[in-house]
Amino acid sequence: MDLFLPYIACLTFALALFVALRPSPLSFRVLMIAIGSAAAGWLIGLIMGSLSAFADVSQGLFFIIFSLCAIAASMRLITHDRPVYSALYFVLVVLSTAGLFLLLEAEFMAFALVIVYAGAILITYMFVLMLSNQTTESTEEQIQASYDRIPREPAAAVGVGFLLLCLITGTVVDGSSSLPTQGSEQSQWTTLENLPKQFESSVMELDASFAWPPMPSSQGVAIRHDGDETFIVSSEGKTLVLPDELMPRNTQQVGWSLVNDFPVSLELAGVILLMAMFGAAILARRAIELGEEEKRSILLGSETETEEDSAGAQS
Amino acid sequence: MTSSALAGYLIVSGLLLVIGLVGFLVRRNLIVMFLCTELMFQGAAIAFVAIGRYLFDYSGQVMVIFILTVAAAEAALALALVVLLHRQSNTLDSDAFGELRE
Repeated sequence: MDLFLPYIACLTFALALFVALRPSPLSFRVLMIAIGSAAAGWLIGLIMGSLSAFADVSQGLFFIIFSLCAIAASMRLITHDRPVYSALYFVLVVLSTAGLFLLLEAEFMAFALVIVYAGAILITYMFVLMLSNQTTESTEEQIQASYDRIPREPAAAVGVGFLLLCLITGTVVDGSSSLPTQGSEQSQWTTLENLPKQFESSVMELDASFAWPPMPSSQGVAIRHDGDETFIVSSEGKTLVLPDELMPRNTQQVGWSLVNDFPVSLELAGVILLMAMFGAAILARRAIELGEEEKRSILLGSETETEEDSAGAQS
Repeated sequence: MTSSALAGYLIVSGLLLVIGLVGFLVRRNLIVMFLCTELMFQGAAIAFVAIGRYLFDYSGQVMVIFILTVAAAEAALALALVVLLHRQSNTLDSDAFGELRE
């Protein structure tokens, strides 16, 4: 595939991003972001060929909508003068990413992303932004701090970004011809063998006369495929076709993969979160420096007060 | 999911990564710089989930769980540091902390 047009799209995107980063009126910035998003959409279109890459047209349309929404919101994020609005645009990016995850049939991750990112991490950002908000004047036109208005070396940064984008585009175009063969959907069935209780109850619901347990693994695989059909072989050689509803759900698959393939990483993640909690608590604690005089006055404060009280009572 | 659809997802994730990188280099507000690192995490997460979906390998989604963990830990620690720095010098300008170099 010729890489000339994709690189032109990358260049257009980088130029629009560069112009949008410079201080300019709002409408001009929005126009530049629109041009940049259009260039990004053109690039995606060039790489994908057509929407027929998706199973149906609505899926392709949603992909375009969500991805353009994420790209435009993230461009606005890095060009906005006010940090609070940047954080709100990041919520939009997170929601669009969750939409892309839904298209990728990763429901659990989509909702976990919204809950953890939009619900927890962004709230932390908003709290810190409000803690450190200096513009307390009540004037109508609050002037943002100069470090929020004037970018640092936009030309160099966009140049680096352009080179990285060209590298990613070239790698994706080159690599798409030598991808490994796509995994088969039927490989998802094997997880079911690892969930014996649920497996048994659902098979018994289907056919109560089925001789449980299925064929032991020493004699071969219990769950087999023949064309589109998936069936289970009992220890007596009897077969039972499994309906599609019995296929393990996304959440079950992720949970099984999490505890079966990455048990040590799971424990480490817990330790990292605990350490981060300790670290944040220790770092953000306000240490009060006290001189000797103040310490004494705090320690002896109650006693001196009582002395004064008694003295007042005597007089 | 065809390989060209996978390429589309990878380009979207690359674009988010590049925008996050440019934002991290360009912005001078410490909090927005950390927001841009979160943007880069999003790009990586999309790539993980898309490739996992293509190969029907659920390790990709498990990696996103770990990305969420690292992002949460990073947000907690980095924002605690930002609060500390803001108390010392009363500004969020990353250039103002050049004296920390020594």
